[in-house]
Amino acid sequence: MIRYILQRLGESAVVIALMSFVIYALIGLMPGDPIDLMINSDPRLTPADAARLRAVYGLDRPLVDRYLSWAAAAIGGDFGNSRLHVRPVLDVMPGFLLNTVKLMGLSFVLSVAIAIPAGVIAARRQNSRLDHAINLLCFAGISVPVFWLALMLIILFSVMMPILPASGIASVGGGGGLWDAARHLVLPVATLTIFSVGSYTRFVRAAMIEVLRQDYIRTARAKGAGPSRIVWVHALRNAMIPVVTVIALSFGTLFSGALITETMFAYPGMGKLIYDSIMGNDYNIALVTLLFATAVTLAANLLADLAYAWLDPRISYASGEGARP
Amino acid sequence: MTEVLRPATPPEGMLMLFARRFADHRLALASLVVLLGLALLATAAPMAEWALGVSANSVNLTMRFAPPSLAHPLGTDELGRDLLVRLLYGGRVSLLVGIAAALASAVIGTVIGLLAGYYGGKLDALLMRLTDGVIALPLLPLLIVLAAVDLTKIGLPAELARDADVSLYRMVTIIALVSWTTVARLVRGATLSVREREFVLAAAACGAGPLRIMTVHILPNVVSPIIVATTLSVGNVILLESVLSFLGLGIQPPIASWGNMLTGAQELIWSAPQLVFWPGALIFATVIAFNFLGDGLQDALDPRAITR
Amino acid sequence: MTAPLLSVEGLVKHFPLRSGLFGRRTGKVHALNGIDFTVLAGRTLALVGESGCGKTTAARAVAGLIRPDAGRMLFKGGDISAASRGERKSAHREMQMVFQDPYGSLNPRLNVNAIVAEPLVIHGLGDIGARRDRVAEVLAQVGIDPRDGERYPHEFSGGQRQRIAIARALAPEPELIIADEPLSALDVSIQSQVLNLLKDIQASRALAFLFITHDLAVVDYFANDVAVMYLGHIVERAPRAALFAAPRHPYTRALLAAVPKPGGGKRRPGATPAGEVPSPIAPPAGCPFHPRCARAVAACRESMPAPTDFGAGHIVACHNPEAAP
Repeated sequence: MIRYILQRLGESAVVIALMSFVIYALIGLMPGDPIDLMINSDPRLTPADAARLRAVYGLDRPLVDRYLSWAAAAIGGDFGNSRLHVRPVLDVMPGFLLNTVKLMGLSFVLSVAIAIPAGVIAARRQNSRLDHAINLLCFAGISVPVFWLALMLIILFSVMMPILPASGIASVGGGGGLWDAARHLVLPVATLTIFSVGSYTRFVRAAMIEVLRQDYIRTARAKGAGPSRIVWVHALRNAMIPVVTVIALSFGTLFSGALITETMFAYPGMGKLIYDSIMGNDYNIALVTLLFATAVTLAANLLADLAYAWLDPRISYASGEGARP
Repeated sequence: MTEVLRPATPPEGMLMLFARRFADHRLALASLVVLLGLALLATAAPMAEWALGVSANSVNLTMRFAPPSLAHPLGTDELGRDLLVRLLYGGRVSLLVGIAAALASAVIGTVIGLLAGYYGGKLDALLMRLTDGVIALPLLPLLIVLAAVDLTKIGLPAELARDADVSLYRMVTIIALVSWTTVARLVRGATLSVREREFVLAAAACGAGPLRIMTVHILPNVVSPIIVATTLSVGNVILLESVLSFLGLGIQPPIASWGNMLTGAQELIWSAPQLVFWPGALIFATVIAFNFLGDGLQDALDPRAITR
Repeated sequence: MTAPLLSVEGLVKHFPLRSGLFGRRTGKVHALNGIDFTVLAGRTLALVGESGCGKTTAARAVAGLIRPDAGRMLFKGGDISAASRGERKSAHREMQMVFQDPYGSLNPRLNVNAIVAEPLVIHGLGDIGARRDRVAEVLAQVGIDPRDGERYPHEFSGGQRQRIAIARALAPEPELIIADEPLSALDVSIQSQVLNLLKDIQASRALAFLFITHDLAVVDYFANDVAVMYLGHIVERAPRAALFAAPRHPYTRALLAAVPKPGGGKRRPGATPAGEVPSPIAPPAGCPFHPRCARAVAACRESMPAPTDFGAGHIVACHNPEAAP
């Protein structure tokens, strides 16, 4: 098992290295480059100046060279400076990261807290009206465009009934207390929760149905255990195995949802940071944040695989030609 | 010579069986009707233009934000353009791009899945590493980067790079490039199991080559999960396109898509919330219809699966 | 003596076993350990043995589905053991295979006409019209009404499907048919029908058969020559009459003794072997049968007996063969 973990970690490291090159190249393809931006903001720069600056910054070197010098600096801990925030990248990120953790964390907990009971109830009363209703809501949740959902919520709660703030993390000139911060979190968290609760509920429901169909549940019933005990103790524990892994695997989706939510609500988190940096040609931040997001998604996938392999003894990662003696 | 024995029942294809099971799933049936209706309306967009005497792009700054009237059944937008007609044209684009991208990613995924499942060994390992790598990427940030790529930097002439029509192909391409992984995994799994079945061995024993085996024997037997996965992916693709268009990175104006009709909608929520409501509601309805449809297909094609 | 149609020499095949998290090699299945046999044109060789003796592996190796690790296979004088797919193509046309499972060996998505025509299509035999006629012809021969050619396999019974499989094998007019337990999956009443069909074909067309089976009654009815296999070795080869009248290898005797004779009566002499067939993963040293053999001597533990020719094509691999009765 240890060898497997090390092997996967090694592979993930390779993927991240590869992705860093790909993202570096892609970002290089974005419109404009740092020198163009300088020219735009300072019309006194002549083309000769531009060429000289390009040479100074090494922007006329081939892609691989530029990438390698970035990578060398990065390994040493120097990820460059943010153009928009005029500070080193590593100074800028933690604040935004914390905000995103708050947003994603709260939404995740809320979604799971709703999804587990909803999924279990739906599974126990399969094909009942309640089940159909829950299913309908789930489908709605996974089908709604997140940005439109955000807009609708804003219209409802900030425009038509001005009871919640539409953006930001704290009121301008406000006290900045806990109540204020909480109010600002309500709509973003609600949006992200509605976005993810639908799919989580369906996972739980499907896993529970699968488990309830198993023979050993019928055996427990035959032995006289009452319905509640069966459902909550045996089935839930076993259903959690695939649910945990699937939820971990959907981390990437949750992050994408957070990106939109943060952008819609001007919530200063990683998602908004990524978006602003790509649109604002802040290459250093864009590069690092994208890599960070990739790394965390890879880590979530790895944890999911490990959890699955560890919890379910039937899984073995064996390979080989089919033996037909 | 032994006597000739004939099957007792009249011939019944798999199609009839499937159609019956599908019709039992009422939501899926309703969704099919809804989608066909939407498609019909979308193709009728030019007729609506003719009937109302306006064009989708005719700007009329004197008639901005007009409420619904006979001349403009749903009112006008911030540039005085008729909302209904724009919605219909937008539907065309969103539906076409959605279906095209879903089909393209299905093709990519099927080819990769077939090759990985059939050949196994190193090719399989390589392709699956590639698939895992793409799955691991955070989808939306990557799409934003891809959508923001300046095409002139890879050699495309400037006029083409900014052309609105090109933005359509671009959307289909980049969405297809990131959405093929589900189908690939499905097809690989199905191929692995079909590959061991005796009729595949029989074909190999006859002397059939890999291409024939993959196309004649394996592919038709893995087609059901492909259809289901592709239908389910259309909804997701439409959501992706609409997000990108909303952010200004997708379909470029003047071509209307439901997504880009919402660009800058944050300014409008105070003055004209109905302009925000309609395009998004239509996206919502279309996506949920495709999801129900895919669900119904799944039940009809394999009633034992319970991912409903 | 004419050259044999098919000649197999020293065929070896070991399948690697992998298990655990990284697919470590944990052993080998010794499916074939150097077997020799020949099939003459127009004659039927039955390859007999219990489950796990390697007869299916041998059949699939001959058909080109499995690459042997060592040994030679000569078909009509040409070496097909290590040939590439292109070189093997003509061999593929002239030898066709019928499989055990009638429910699995027909592609459920193709109709019967397409299934039977497939060998013709693969080898480009005839145009569409000629192929259609040929398909109708072989279908009629096996007792399937050609008008049902448009139907799909699931509309037919097991016995009918096996007939379709046989029609498919006959279509390209092969010289050798490899039949891997074609009767074992059929109901007993159907078995005799299909067996009679095969016998008719055998009589009318001077076809050679490599017939894999574990049923000695069928062998008695159908085969010209017999080869007995045990744990990947051929222990005895003989013309049918000689084998049944004077079996020399203790295993052959035991097999024959186990065949119930309908109507009671004297059972053949010979003791049933003690114990079970060892696993082909860890075969015993020396002669593989010695742990269960009533006639085992010291030599049996040490070395694999070489085949001894007792004349008239009767070859036995035993250190202590039975005397002729």
